[in-house]
Amino acid sequence: MAIKKNDQKRIIILISGLIAIAILVMFLSLLVGSVFISPKDLWTSEILWQVRLPRVLLAAFVGMLLSTSGVVLQGVLRNPLADPYILGVSAGGAIGAAISIVLGAQFVVLGMSSVPAMAFLFSLLAVYVVYRLSRIGKKTSPETLLLAGVALSAFCSAVLSLIVIISGNLQSIYFWLLGSLSSANWTNVYTVIPYAVIGLGIAYFYSKELNALLLGEDMAHTLGVEVEKSRVMLIIAASFMSAAAVSVSGLVGFVGLIVPHWIRMLVGPNHRILVPVSALAGAIFVVLADTISRTIFSPTEIPIGIVMSLAGAPFFLYLLRKRRMEGK
Amino acid sequence: MTVLKIEKLVCGYEPNKPIVKEVSFDVDEGAFLGVVGPNGCGKTTLLKAIAGLLKPMHGSIMLGNHLLTSMDRRELAREIAFVPQLMEPVSGFSVGDLVMLGRTPYFQRFSFETADDYEAVRWAIEELNIDGLTDRSVTELSGGEFQRVAIARALAQEPRLLILDEPISHLDLRYQVNICKLLKKLRTHRSIIATFHDLNVAARFCSHLILMKNGSIIAQGLPNEVVTPENIWKAYRIKVSVKKDTTSHKAKYVVLP
Repeated sequence: MAIKKNDQKRIIILISGLIAIAILVMFLSLLVGSVFISPKDLWTSEILWQVRLPRVLLAAFVGMLLSTSGVVLQGVLRNPLADPYILGVSAGGAIGAAISIVLGAQFVVLGMSSVPAMAFLFSLLAVYVVYRLSRIGKKTSPETLLLAGVALSAFCSAVLSLIVIISGNLQSIYFWLLGSLSSANWTNVYTVIPYAVIGLGIAYFYSKELNALLLGEDMAHTLGVEVEKSRVMLIIAASFMSAAAVSVSGLVGFVGLIVPHWIRMLVGPNHRILVPVSALAGAIFVVLADTISRTIFSPTEIPIGIVMSLAGAPFFLYLLRKRRMEGK
Repeated sequence: MTVLKIEKLVCGYEPNKPIVKEVSFDVDEGAFLGVVGPNGCGKTTLLKAIAGLLKPMHGSIMLGNHLLTSMDRRELAREIAFVPQLMEPVSGFSVGDLVMLGRTPYFQRFSFETADDYEAVRWAIEELNIDGLTDRSVTELSGGEFQRVAIARALAQEPRLLILDEPISHLDLRYQVNICKLLKKLRTHRSIIATFHDLNVAARFCSHLILMKNGSIIAQGLPNEVVTPENIWKAYRIKVSVKKDTTSHKAKYVVLP
C-alpha cells in the first residue's frame, strides 16, 4: 500500500535535517567575511554581534519570506512561474519605499514604520493590478499574468528611475533596485520577524486549500474550499511577506521562483510539506547567496540582488523552455 | 428514500439568460440517473447547479431535508462529490496523493491525515480496482486509468451523491463499459447522476434517464420509457428505431435508420 503513514516520519526527518543545515550554514556564514573570526573569539567579537549576526538572521528571514511568498503565489495563481519579483510585487513595493524615502514621511501604521508600510501598500496594489489585468471572465490566464507582471515591473522600474532623477536621492533609492542586505541591523531583524511568523502561519494554515486549488477553482469548490476567501487571504499574506522582505533588502529576485521549484521536485506538490520545507530551504539559500555576495570580491561587496539575478534569470529561462517542451 | 429533490430549477451564467429552465425531478438512494440530450441542452449546467458551483436563479434543490444553498461548502463537500469532464492531472502527485485530496472536506487545520482518511482512500482505491496504480504518477496514466482515479478521488469524499460530467465520452469502448459497470456497482448506498452522449450506454446502465432539450426536460423515467423513437425525434430531430430486448424492460439498442 503506497499511501504511507511513514510519510509523516519522513517529513519530520526532512524538516529537522533542514533546520540542522540552516544552523550550520548560518554558523559558518558568521565566521567568514572581510575579517575572519575564529570560532574561539565567537563570544567576544563586536563585529559578530553587531554586524554579522543580524545580517545572517536577516538573510535567513528574507529567504524564508520570499520563498514562502513564491510558493503561495504559485499555488493561488496556479502558475509555477509566479513569484513576487516576476509579478511586479517587489517592484511595486520598491516604489512605495522610494516614495516614502523621498517624501521623508514619518508615520507608523499597524506597528510598521513608514517605509515598510508604504512598501506593503504598493506591493498589494501591484498584485491587485496584475491579478485584475490577467483575469478574463472567470479565468486567470497564466500567459497574461506573466506578461502583465513583466509590463508592470518595467513600468515600476521607470517610475523608480524617475523618482531617483527628480529627487537626486540616488544612493538610498538605488539600494532598492539592486537589493542588498548590507544595511542589516537588529531593528530590521525585529521588523521582519512578525511578518515571517504571521505569513508562514497563514501559508501553512491554508495548505489544504492550496492543495485543493491544484485541481482548479471548481474542483476546490466541490471539495469544500471557500475559494475566493482563501485566495484573497493568501494573496494578502504573500504580498505581506514580499513587502516585508523588500522593505529590508530591496529587490532580491528569483528566490521565490527557484527555491519552491527545487523543493517541489524533491518533495512533490503537497503544500503541507512544500510550505515549511521551502521556507527553510529559502533561508539556507539566501544566507549562502549573501555569504557569497560579501566574500567573493572581498573587501568589495556585491549586492545580493545581483547574485540572485545572475543565477536566477538563466534558471527561469530554463524552466520556461522545459515547460514548453513538456507541452504545457 | 429521496436523496435529491429538484423543483422548478432555473439557472444559468448570465442574468435573464437561463440555460436550465424550470426543471423538476427526484433522485432516490441507489438510483443511477443518466442525463442525456443534444449538445448545449443544459446538461452540464444542471450538474454544476447540483454540485453547488452555480446558484439557482429560481426554484430549489433539496439535499435530504436541507436546502442546498443553505449548506456550507465543507458540509456540502461531504455529501456531494463532482467529477468534471476533464480533470487536470497534477504533475508530481501519485495516484494515492490525488485520491487523498478527496479527503479535503474532512481535514482539520493543523493535523496530518488521520487513520480514517487513509482508510477512506484505501477503500476508494479498492472500489475502483486501481490498487496496482497507487504509486504511479498521475501524469503517466492512460485516459481510462485516470478517469478511474478521478472517480476514486470523488469517492474518497464518501458522498451520498456522486455527480459525473460525461465520464465516458473521451474513453474507448472497453473503458466506457468498464466505468459504467463500476458506477452501477457504486450506486448501492448512494446515488449517481451522470451525463452521457451515448444513448445506448446510458439506456443500458442507468436506472433512470432524463432527456433534455433547450434547458427543459422532455422525457424522464425508466430507460425504456425515455428512449423511444418519438422522444429521440423530439430531442435530436433524427429518426431511429429502437429495438427492445424482450428479456428485460430496458431498451438495449438505438439504431439509426
